[in-house]
Formats: sequence, C-alpha cells, structure tokens
Amino acid sequence: MNNPYEVLGVEQSAPPAEIQKAYRKLAKKLHPDLNPGNKAAEEKFKEVASAYDLLSDAEKRKRFDNGEIDASGAERPQHQYYRDFATADDGHPYTTSSGYADFMDSDDAFAELLRRHRRAAANRRGEDLHFRLAIDFAESITGADKRLALPVGGTLDVKIPPGIVDGQTLRLKGKGAPGTGTGGPGDALIEVEVLPDPRFARDGDNIVLELPISLSEAVLGGPVRVPTPTGDVAMSVPKGSNTGTTLRLKGKGAPRRGGGNGDELVKLKVVLPKSPDPELENFVSNWARGKAFNPREGMSS
Amino acid sequence: MSMSKQEFLSSAGLEIQTLELWLEQRWLIPRETTAGMHFSERDMARANLILELKSDFGVNDEGVDVILHLMDQLHGMRGALAELQEHIRGKPA
Repeated sequence: MNNPYEVLGVEQSAPPAEIQKAYRKLAKKLHPDLNPGNKAAEEKFKEVASAYDLLSDAEKRKRFDNGEIDASGAERPQHQYYRDFATADDGHPYTTSSGYADFMDSDDAFAELLRRHRRAAANRRGEDLHFRLAIDFAESITGADKRLALPVGGTLDVKIPPGIVDGQTLRLKGKGAPGTGTGGPGDALIEVEVLPDPRFARDGDNIVLELPISLSEAVLGGPVRVPTPTGDVAMSVPKGSNTGTTLRLKGKGAPRRGGGNGDELVKLKVVLPKSPDPELENFVSNWARGKAFNPREGMSS
Repeated sequence: MSMSKQEFLSSAGLEIQTLELWLEQRWLIPRETTAGMHFSERDMARANLILELKSDFGVNDEGVDVILHLMDQLHGMRGALAELQEHIRGKPA
C-alpha cells in the first residue's frame, strides 16, 4: 500500500478530525455501495479505507509514524458489499420501481418494456419456508409419518425417510409460500432434529448399544433381550463373554444407500451385583486359578 | 446460506435493540419462518452498509433512511436498465 497520508491527501501532522474529514470526502465518492456501477471504485476505496483504518487508530498511527509498522498488512479483509446482492434476479424485498414508475404510464415501446419488467417481478416464485421437526431416535431409523402444525394455520404432512440423520433437511416441493402471479409456490424446507436416545448411538449405518450383562451370563452364556429401534429381540450371549465383547445383530441398523441395512453392534459390559455377595466373595477368595491370571500382563514397565 | 436472529446479531455485532429498531424502520426485511427470522447474506451486507454509513460516514438515522430509499430506487432502475439492454441486444429476458 502507498503512504496512507498520501492516500488520504493529508499532512503527517494532521489532527484526527482532519483525517476523518478527508476520509469521508473520499469515501463518499468511492464507496462501492454509493457507486454501484463503478467497478474501479472498489479497489481505490479499499486503499482509502485501509489508510483510514491505520490512521484513525491512535496507537497504530503512532507505531507507523515511528516506523515500527509499515502500511502493508493493514489491508481490509475481503468485504461483501450490498451492491453484489442488490441486483440478484431471484427477487428480494428491497428493490423498488418507485424511481421510474412514471415512465411506465405512456404508450410507447419503452414504457411497455418497463411494464414487462415489473410484471416479471410480479410473477415471482414464493419464498421457501423453513421449519424444524424433532423426531425420536427410533423414528430416524425406521422412518415415520409426521404432521407439522403450521403457525399460520393448517398442517403439513411430512414423510420421514428411514435412516435420516440429525440436521438433515427435507425439501417438500411446492409446500412453501405462494408465489405472485404465475410464479408458483416455494418449497418447504424441514430441518430434522433427531432426539438422542440414552441407549443407542449412531455410527454410520450401524447402531451401537452398550448392553449390561450379569457375571453369570458372562461366564455361562445365555439368552438375553436386546432393545433395537424396531423393538426387543432375543440374542444369546456366548459362554465366556467379557466386557468389550461386541456382538452383531445383522440388519438391525440404519438403511444403507443402495439397499440393505447396517447392523446393531452390541457391546457387552459385565456388571457385578449391586451389593457385595458373601457367597461370591467366598468363592473368589478360594479360586486359586483366578488369582493366578494376570489381565495386566505386558502392561508393567 | 441463512442465519438465525442470534447468529445474525453476533455476526454483525449488533445489539438486539438496534436490530429491533432497524426492523421496525424496514431497513432490514428478513424472511419470517416458523423457526424464527432468517437472515440472508444480502441482509448481512445491507447491515454492514448501514453500520458503515453511521460509524464511518457520520450519517444519522434520518440520513440512513433517505440513503437506503434512494439506493433501493437506484437498484430498481439498474434492474430495469439491464432488462432494456438485454432487449436491445435482441434477447428479451
């Protein structure tokens, strides 16, 4: 960047008020939003604004005067100007024809063109409407039919596809706000929130569940009931299962893209009886081979 | 991309009271939905312009009102002019 004093056209001794005055004078001529048709103004304005950012900050100005910092690095970050959005043709509520409405009153071809322009604006597609919908975890796996009560009255039927994930948005074509003229309605966009379930967690197409089992179920094996999003199922715990042993319930997970389902992964967790059991204590203290087994083998340093 | 009221406030660095005032003046017209207001990038750029007019240019609220009104007319005319140009080129929009 050039010398900021030169950019603003002020002396190095200029008081803050003079710097502000110089900046305002230039900015009024150069600000992109006050010059929507002038492409070159943006570059010049950036330079002027950066110079002002530097010199209007007393601390930065002092450091610049002392040569501690130079003008580079003071450039303003990329800025989005209103003019970049103002002429977008998707229609928005700000632009008005009141600046040329009188030209539309006559009979000539020019007036006809302007009228057509306004009619095009009058046949705008309706706005998309945004809604949020919370569903249970099980419903996110199996899919569900939901009815959304609209604040403006009426309801909206929403089909939740199976396997939806938290934050996913469903688009219902033509269920948004009505358009004007022949514009047609907008869409309804429904952001789905999947409420967490303390039992289940989702891992891609699979569902993970931690299943507590008793010591005797772990040692001897046996049938247990396991919750799944579609209801409980029977599963047999193999003999000698341990905490961390993971069993797979095929096809009990979320639907896969392209057919089939993921699995439910059942992670076992061995849980001792809540209150100490004298019989168990007695057995373990007399259980010689149990004491000989060292589960931390290879961990000692 | 659209923002909730809360996201818009923190992203633009606005106080809630200021925003309420701007909405009342219709300086900003966000989309109203059941999930609350939704602000677009256009609304954000417009808010930045208003802030700049007020802080850097020393324009007061009355002045902002006049500037926005003239600017909206200017953009309406630019749209009409662009359409005329298309038409003269022989491909009416």
